[in-house]
Parts: sequence; structure tokens; C-alpha cells
Amino acid sequence: MAAFAIAVAAVAAICGCRVNRPRNDHAATQTLYDSMVSDPGTFNPVLITDSASAVAIGDMFESLTRVNPRTTLFEPGLARSWEFSDGDQTLTFHLRHDVKWSDGAPFTARDVLFTMRVIYDPKIPNSMVSAMMIDGKPIAASAPDDYTVVVRMPRPFAPILSSMQFAILPAHVLAGAYEAGRFNRTWGIDTPPDRLIGLGAFLMTRYVPAQLIAYRRNSDYWMRDEQGAPLPRLKGEVHLIVPDQNAQYLQFQSGMTDVYHPRPEEVWPLEQAAKRLNITVAKVGIDTGSLFFAFNRNPRHYVHDGVADPRYQWFTDVNFMRALAHAVDKQGMIDLCYRGLAVPAVSDVSPENKIYHNPNLKDYGYNLELAAQILDRAGYRMIRPGVRGDPEGRPLVFRLTTNTGVPVRDQMCAIFKQDLQKLGITVNYRPLDFITLVKALDLSFDWDCVLIGFTGAIEPNDASDFLRSSGNLHIWDPAQPKPATPWEAQIDHLMDEGTMVVDPYKRARYYWQIQQILHDQLPMIETVRAVTYVAYRNSLENYYPTVWGLYHPEWIEFRAR
Amino acid sequence: MLRFLARRILIMIPLTIGITFISFAAMSLIPGNFVANLALDPRISPQVLKQMEAEFGLDQPLMLRYARWLWGIAHLRLGVSLAYRVDVIHLIGPRVLNTVLLALSSMALTWLLAIPIGVIVAVRQNSILDRTLSFLSFLGMSVPAFFLAFLAIDFALWSGWFPVGQTMSPDYAALDLWSRIADRADHLILPALVLGLAGVASLMRLMRSQILEIKNADYVRTARAKGLPESIVLYKHVLRNALNPFVTMAGYGLADLLGGAALVESVMNLQGLGLLLLNAVMKRDVPLVMGSVLMGTVLLLVGNLLADMALAAVDPRVNFTTLEAQ
Repeated sequence: MAAFAIAVAAVAAICGCRVNRPRNDHAATQTLYDSMVSDPGTFNPVLITDSASAVAIGDMFESLTRVNPRTTLFEPGLARSWEFSDGDQTLTFHLRHDVKWSDGAPFTARDVLFTMRVIYDPKIPNSMVSAMMIDGKPIAASAPDDYTVVVRMPRPFAPILSSMQFAILPAHVLAGAYEAGRFNRTWGIDTPPDRLIGLGAFLMTRYVPAQLIAYRRNSDYWMRDEQGAPLPRLKGEVHLIVPDQNAQYLQFQSGMTDVYHPRPEEVWPLEQAAKRLNITVAKVGIDTGSLFFAFNRNPRHYVHDGVADPRYQWFTDVNFMRALAHAVDKQGMIDLCYRGLAVPAVSDVSPENKIYHNPNLKDYGYNLELAAQILDRAGYRMIRPGVRGDPEGRPLVFRLTTNTGVPVRDQMCAIFKQDLQKLGITVNYRPLDFITLVKALDLSFDWDCVLIGFTGAIEPNDASDFLRSSGNLHIWDPAQPKPATPWEAQIDHLMDEGTMVVDPYKRARYYWQIQQILHDQLPMIETVRAVTYVAYRNSLENYYPTVWGLYHPEWIEFRAR
Repeated sequence: MLRFLARRILIMIPLTIGITFISFAAMSLIPGNFVANLALDPRISPQVLKQMEAEFGLDQPLMLRYARWLWGIAHLRLGVSLAYRVDVIHLIGPRVLNTVLLALSSMALTWLLAIPIGVIVAVRQNSILDRTLSFLSFLGMSVPAFFLAFLAIDFALWSGWFPVGQTMSPDYAALDLWSRIADRADHLILPALVLGLAGVASLMRLMRSQILEIKNADYVRTARAKGLPESIVLYKHVLRNALNPFVTMAGYGLADLLGGAALVESVMNLQGLGLLLLNAVMKRDVPLVMGSVLMGTVLLLVGNLLADMALAAVDPRVNFTTLEAQ
């Protein structure tokens, strides 16, 4: 019995060391807590390839222009204005005079030119450079004085404002490391935060790996509100690093974080608990990316020794593809996989891309009878009960894959497989781990049908590698030496034309036409787009989320009590 | 004893090389490398991917890459992570601390609970207390730790008595030393309980059967016949001998706990080695994977060595000569 008493005493002792410290009051300290899913890979803006790093330093650095997420148009950033001249081949930026780096040095045109030099350096592989090449040539930039940057293009290039949206580096801090060839290992995540010299609204104060990143307000930030008071209004920010989404959900409920992006199944429970938790659950908008079934039409995979695999004929037959498009039960996917919180996707460009989305496309609509009729008419008839064959009588069988670990995609593939089964088409479904899938898509080309998603961008030319027949992400038949079909040639042509006109509203028609062509030719079938939600504390003011980011995040503050 | 130590440490070297080579080869045999993570990013051109491959040396043959890695280890360098571009030790260090802290505290908790309970139920064999605790122990053994972790985290949220996940509070840096220790302990209680509970159940069963077996041994009967009080018989003769298998188990148990900790770490969001290793494998971040594997291997080997040495200290029948003969 004595031993038992000791054990009880030990447990009691362990429990006794609970700390009763006052609840961390986010409102009193004006510090916003939110969560991110993984550790950043780097604090160096040029070397970023992952979204966590972009979040980690997003508020510390700025670019010449910024996008208004409500209008999707460009607004002044570090450049207070800009103008095109010389037949749209010259772009002149006038920089702000009142911007200081956090070490007190002024921001000048030298910083812009230095950043461009780093991005174009072949020894520094980065994700910015491809958007800054015009027909394979770099953009020439010069600085007639400290506060003017002149960009010269070999031809009019409409995406230039988007291309110039890179975060500016402090030349006086990083030039030394760059000249010494040490840039690729500069400003890694082991850098003490006070050595990260930024000019954004917030400056990093502390990074605890796998725990959190903390920031304080930049008291020298250039932006002011309408009354001329300094911005940002928050005194600090903390990003907690929480890899598991269930844990994020619980931590939001327990008050550890102030903002949470719920999954579809969490929206309703949060709305029910909104009063008790004192939170607002708001609709943000429609997903900006696209999620689609792509079909392999790559002759390198299907044609061997002059003999083409039958699947090549099916997937390049527009009647076959139209029948399949009518067999995608989008409403079923919305109800089952997204709890009703999604909309059917018609175009590859999200409706949230207000200028470039083509609103005139008509959805194919789920109709298995119509699908069967189209197949019958095109010669794909039932060869025995439950099995449909192609015009040569070969049974219709193909493989379907997607990446593992995303339950929604599993369910969508199951729905698609079941509906095709009703049409007499056999689908063998096997998900693959992401990297294996990528290798199949861009190296071995050994796949038939894949459910895959791309993230969306406002600038339509950013999808160039996907839309152009020569592109590496032209999933269904990548890196073609010359366009395989007339419609692919036409898309290439429209992509060229679209970059020649600077006015976004005049540009839009080229991209609308591309969306129409893809919708008619169906190299891929669009599925659905999630409607995203956000939940945040009622004490937060001026919190305006949009799918393209927060609208005026500098105005956010906690209501004084 | 020194000879024994030297021999054991020497054996560790080829063992470590073998384990790491197999892991290294396995990492290279699965399709795709780190750069493939970026292949579907429209902003990154194939030329940039090629440049990155060359920069990280991923285009070189397996043996050369392994030899380079080994050369680094010989110079106490774990290499540079591909995903984070910093020394691997910088990533692993704080997480090893979290994982070892969790494993050790749950082990301590397990033993503190299992041994006394095991003794009690053995002494009162077939009483209601014995039956009840046996039933609870089977229940404990059959509930997986990750499920318990979900329950625990829900309990923390519902009761508000414990923090919901994490290994420390956001204001940790501002605390003084004692508050820091208290803060750490506060965050450790639930995960250590969750991880230890299944262990309590099985260890308690083991303890019970050990004592029941030894209770009837000849030397115990002798001790009783000498007229020793029952408490001395129990604590000095029975308990000490019953503990021997536990000492051996401790070495392996540590390795088990490190493995089991990965699931609990993931559910309760404790930043440990498990989750880091899983993500590194998914991303094909070879130096990071190898660093974690090396760390795990060393922990396991050292744990076993310590267990053997402890056994020699505890069990008079075992000494370093017999251990060497094994």
C-alpha cells in the first residue's frame, strides 16, 4: 500500500507543477496570433520555393507594386507611381522617398537593380527568373537617379508589372555576401532575426524552430492611414507553427490563435459555436486554383513501333471526352466531399480572377443518359452487359491516379470511377505518392488519367508553362517541339497576342478565348472549386479576408475594451 | 569493464555504417529526388531544376554521395538540409531534446505507476483489486496511443486544465528559469501519460507474473524460514530479482518509445524527431533523413549499452565477463 501511496504522491507532484499564469491577452498587447503548417525553408526572399517561407517573411519585405485583392488591379507599393512610354516598351517607376530599411539606411533604386542582378544570376536558381524573361531574354533596367528605375523591354510585355513584383533586397546588407559567392546560404533560417534587414510593416524578433515566429511592428513603416497616423495598427504578430490541422482547429477554439481557416466539415460546427467562442465565421470566396481530370494524349507514351495504343485514340476523340465531361457528378462531389461548400468549376480560370475569368462558358452538366448517347453515336457501343467497347470493339479500360494523402481527391476519384462504371467504362484507380506522381507526369509519361490541381494566379501569363504546347506543365502532352493540334497552335498564338496589350480589360479577350478552346477541346475536365471560409475573433477590427489575401492588413487591430 | 566498453563501442561503428548505408540506398532507390517537389511549380523552369540538382549534387552516383556523407560524419558534420539550407544539426537538435524529454518522462511515469501497482496486485492475487486493475490494464493495452492522444487533447480543450498541444507557451522566452521548467512540465503531462499508459498496462502485467513466479522460489522460502519479516522478504528478495527483466527492457523500451512518440507527437503537435523525419522522407531531403536516422541509431545503440551495464550492476549473476561472452 505504501508503494501505491508513493505513486499517487508522485503523480500529484507532477500535476502540482502546473503554472497558473495570466491568460495571454492578445487584445491588450495588440498581438495577432495565427498558425502556419510548417517551418519556413529560408528567410531569403529570392531563394523561396515553399509557401511557409513566403508567409514567414511576407510582412517584412515589399515590392515596387502591390495588388489590390478586391479589384485584382495593381496599386503603388515601394513605387509611388509608374508610366509606360515608347510604345509600351519602356516602363518608368518613381520610387517613394520616405522608405527606410530597418537599420536606418534609405531604400533606393540601387536596391532594385541589385535584386534584379541576383535574380538573373545563373548561379542562384530561383522561382522569380522565369517570369522575368521575355522571349528568353532578360529585362534591362537602369537607374537615372536614386529614386527612378527605368525598365526597357525588347517588345511590349503586358505581364511586366506582375513580373516586377519581387521582394526588394537591401543591397547594402547583402551585396558583400553576393560578391563573395555566399548568397545561396545567406539569410537561412539559422540567421538571428535582427540581422534580417527589412522594410515591411513588421520585423521579425524571434524564430523558435518548430514552435513560432514572432514579429514586432515596424515603427518606421512608410504607410499612413487617412488621418496621417502611422500604420500598422497591430503592435505584433505571432505565427505558431502547427503542422496538424486538427491541432490548429483545437488551438483556435481554445483561444491560442485568433484566426483559423476551417476545412469544409468544420465550418458548420464553428458557426454553431460562434456565439460561445465569440468569433465570426465569414465566407472568403471561391478557390483561385483549379482541380481537374487530365487525360494523357502524349504519343511518346502511347505510340510504340508505329502502333498506337487505343487509349490515345479515345483521349484525342473529342466525342469521347465530351461524354466523360457529362459523367462528372460535380454536385455529388460538392455535397459529399465539400459538405456543399463548393461550386462547379467550368473554366480553368477561377471566377475570383475578376478580369480574366470567362463567364460565358456553359457547364457540361451531369447527365449519364446523354453521355451514353454521345458514346453510342460516336461508335463506342456496349459489347457485352456492363462493358463498352471502342469502334474497333476493344473494351474501354483505363487507369486513374492522383496524389495520396488528400481524402477529398480520393472521394472524387471514387465518384468518377463509379459513374464511368455505369457507362460500361472500367477505371482502375491507384493513387501515388506525390513525387512518384510527378515523375510519371514529367519523366516517364506513364499515366492515363490524373486528378490534379494547380494553384491560381491573377496574371494569366503565369499559366504559360501549362497552356503553351511547348510548356513543361502542358500536362496532357508536355514540351511539344511544335503544336500537335490546330487548337494548341491557336492557344500558343493567343498567349503571344495576350502579352502585347498592356490594358488588362483589352487583354482579357485573348484569355477568354483560350478558356473557350480548352472547354470545347477538353484535354482536361474541370471539377469543382471549394468555397473557402475564415473564422476570427470578434475583437478583431478591419479584418477583411479575400481569396487573394487580406485587404489592407495594416489597418487590422484589436478593439479597445 | 573498460575492455567491455571499448569492444562494444568498436562494434557500434560497422553497425552504424551498415544501418546508414541501407537507409541511404533505400532513399536513393525510391523514385524522384528533392528537386521533383518543385517540378509542378509553374514559376520554376526545368533549367532552374537542373541547376538545383547540380548545386545539391543530386546528379552524382549513389556511392559517391554516400562516401561524401560519411566523410562529413567523420568530421562531425551532418550536412546541409536541402529543404532548409541550414546544417541538419540545427534542425534536429531542438527536436531530439523534445522527443527524448517526452520518451524519458513517459518512461519514468510508466515505471512509477507500473511497478507499485504490479506489486500490489501480485501480493493480493485474485482479490477484487487484482481483477479490477487487470481489467483496466487490458483496456489500456488495447487502446492505441494515437487514439488516446485525440481523447487527451479533447479533454484538455474541454477542461481547460492543460495546454492544447505544443511543447511550450508562446511567451516561454520571457519566463524565468523555474517558470520555464514548470511550463515545460505542464506541456509534458498529457503526452507523457498518453504515451506511457499502454506501457503501464503491460509492465504491470509483467511485474505481477514475475513476482508470482519468484514468490514461490526456493530462496524466498528460505528467507521466510529464516524468520525475516514479510516486508523485507518482499522488497529485498522478491522485488529485486523481479526487476531484472525491466532493466534489459529499458534499453529497447527507449527505442520503442521513440517510434511510438512519432504518432503522439503528430496528433498533439509536439515538435519532435518523428514528424521531422516523416516530412523529410516525403520531400526526399536526404541529409535530413540521414541525420535523423543516425540520431535514432545512436540513441538505440547507446540505450542498449547502458541497459547491459545497468543489468551487470543490478544482477549479481551477470558481470562484464559473461556479457562479453554473449
